[in-house]
Amino acid sequence: MSLSSFMQPDGRNLSKAGITLLMAPFFMLIGIAFLYPLISLLSISVTEPELGFQNYERILDTPVYGKVLLRTLWIALLVSILSLFLAFPVAMAMVSSGGAMAVFITACILLPFWSSVLVRTAAWAVLLQRNGIVNDLLQAIGIIDAPVRLLYTQGAVVVAMTHVLMPFMVLPIYGALRNIPQDYGRAAAICGAGPLRGFIEVTLPLAMPGVLGGFILVFLTALGYFITPALLGSPQEMMIATLISQQLREFLDWPFAAALVGVLTLFVTAITLVFSRVFRFDRMLGGQV
Amino acid sequence: MKTTKRAALLALAVLTAGTAAKADEIVIATTGGLMRNEMEQWFYLPFAEATGTEVIPFDIEVPDQWARAEGMVRTGQVEFDIVTATGPDLVGKADMLVDIPCDTLENVKEYALPGACQPKGIARTTGGMVLTYNTETYADNPPDSWADFWDVETYPGPRGLPDTGDRDWWLPTVALLADGVAKEDLYPLDLDRAYAKLEEIRPHIAVWWKTGNQVQQIMRDNEIAMTMAYSGRALKVIQDGSPFAMAWDGAIRDTGYLAVLKDSPNPEGAMNFINFFYGAAEGHPGFIQAVGYATSSTIGLSQLPEEEQKLYATYPANYELLVDPDFEWIGANRDELRERWTNWLLQ
Repeated sequence: MSLSSFMQPDGRNLSKAGITLLMAPFFMLIGIAFLYPLISLLSISVTEPELGFQNYERILDTPVYGKVLLRTLWIALLVSILSLFLAFPVAMAMVSSGGAMAVFITACILLPFWSSVLVRTAAWAVLLQRNGIVNDLLQAIGIIDAPVRLLYTQGAVVVAMTHVLMPFMVLPIYGALRNIPQDYGRAAAICGAGPLRGFIEVTLPLAMPGVLGGFILVFLTALGYFITPALLGSPQEMMIATLISQQLREFLDWPFAAALVGVLTLFVTAITLVFSRVFRFDRMLGGQV
Repeated sequence: MKTTKRAALLALAVLTAGTAAKADEIVIATTGGLMRNEMEQWFYLPFAEATGTEVIPFDIEVPDQWARAEGMVRTGQVEFDIVTATGPDLVGKADMLVDIPCDTLENVKEYALPGACQPKGIARTTGGMVLTYNTETYADNPPDSWADFWDVETYPGPRGLPDTGDRDWWLPTVALLADGVAKEDLYPLDLDRAYAKLEEIRPHIAVWWKTGNQVQQIMRDNEIAMTMAYSGRALKVIQDGSPFAMAWDGAIRDTGYLAVLKDSPNPEGAMNFINFFYGAAEGHPGFIQAVGYATSSTIGLSQLPEEEQKLYATYPANYELLVDPDFEWIGANRDELRERWTNWLLQ
């Protein structure tokens, strides 16, 4: 086969064969490292200890597992909403400020990426412990008399997860905002819209693809989050990823853990589908520039 | 280019050498940190010196270790020789373990305390799941029983309990003690009564600790004022100068056993090590002092000064205060105990 068969006749673009060849390593990686293990794990959930759905029935029959799932969805939602409200102003500041300031903000956003999640989570543990900085400060300024429990609470989990996941919200919103031509804002002002109305009717709709993209990224990542809830939460904050790991590593119940993975996969798929519909709907209304 | 080639050859040589040496090594899985380090210093290295068999330590918490072992059995690639087993494991994991030839290992016959050598495992170290409290917080009126742990009026302060190891029967056991059940009437456990009592203390538990390192950390950081702790871990914190003390009444006897996995790569080396462990008199005092747990060899704890022996679970006056768990019952009811625990804790 000569080199030319990977090219279109015009000699500039890749032919179908060329594209397939270039994509092959990627699809092989996905197949071997992701799809195969996932499918073989999911098959355990319906074939062991015997053929059938008894592992799934156990999830439905035991209220506590539903509770963990609901809690996982709730924490993921809280984290996404909190990230959104923190990230939007930051993204706007990045777009509107130029030069050194923009570089500085970008660095602040990206810097945490250079340290491991474990380190960032452990830092929160140091801040929030009973004799930690936050408790000392609150006592010093007289808000509380004795140390309060901050560590190993739902609040600790949500705050730390928001901190870790916020960059995934900032970057897509920043991308969307930067693509809005400045003329639009000026046009809105000329037509008589105040800053607030201009924001609500022009900037926000145009930024929606970024908002939704960031939201889904943060939400789905939070759903499967493991290390932060495991280190900063108590068992009462246990999320589904920790539950799966516990079933696998401690109780050695592979089929049941596989069933929990099945349920989580189902939720993630369903949510992705719903979001992508909303996404396209939004484009139809002209949200995309 | 030439250098790369040479480096590759060298790497290959090292790899091959590693394979060749495999016959003369054993892999021992224990919890990491203190236990691994001290076993290595007092027993693994002397053992290698005496017999030429290298010991490869593997750091892992016990529940994770069984998960790993189960996976190894599944795939037919057993990599651990000696594993760490708790009392219930000797019943629950019996079909993964080989019999210990108590009658043919010479040093075991000679030096093992009565009851130390069980069919499926042999005592490594004995301690207790003990009530540990801050002596500054409770300077005037120290707590001395699980009933006091539950008494948040008289003894206010954040508390810690384990969410690791065998908490699924440890905690119902101490809850029943706190509720007034006598030590000898504990088993079979009345789980409804135990969980009703656990429900009372739940809002006061600031930390559900996950590892031995973590329980030491929450003691040092004053994250809690009272906690259940491995006695050896607590002892270390006390010896390091933190203001803590132990209340032995109702502490749960906790023996860590050495057990040998079926189809392990070097079972002979494993048995040799067990024999060496019971006979190496010079290793025991230093080891006991370092880990804070007494071994079950008669040449062990007795080498320490009388005053110091009192800090250990196997010291006679402490030993009679301990709860002696009914492992047959616990082993037979393990699934129910686990299920009950998980469902309660996650609520």
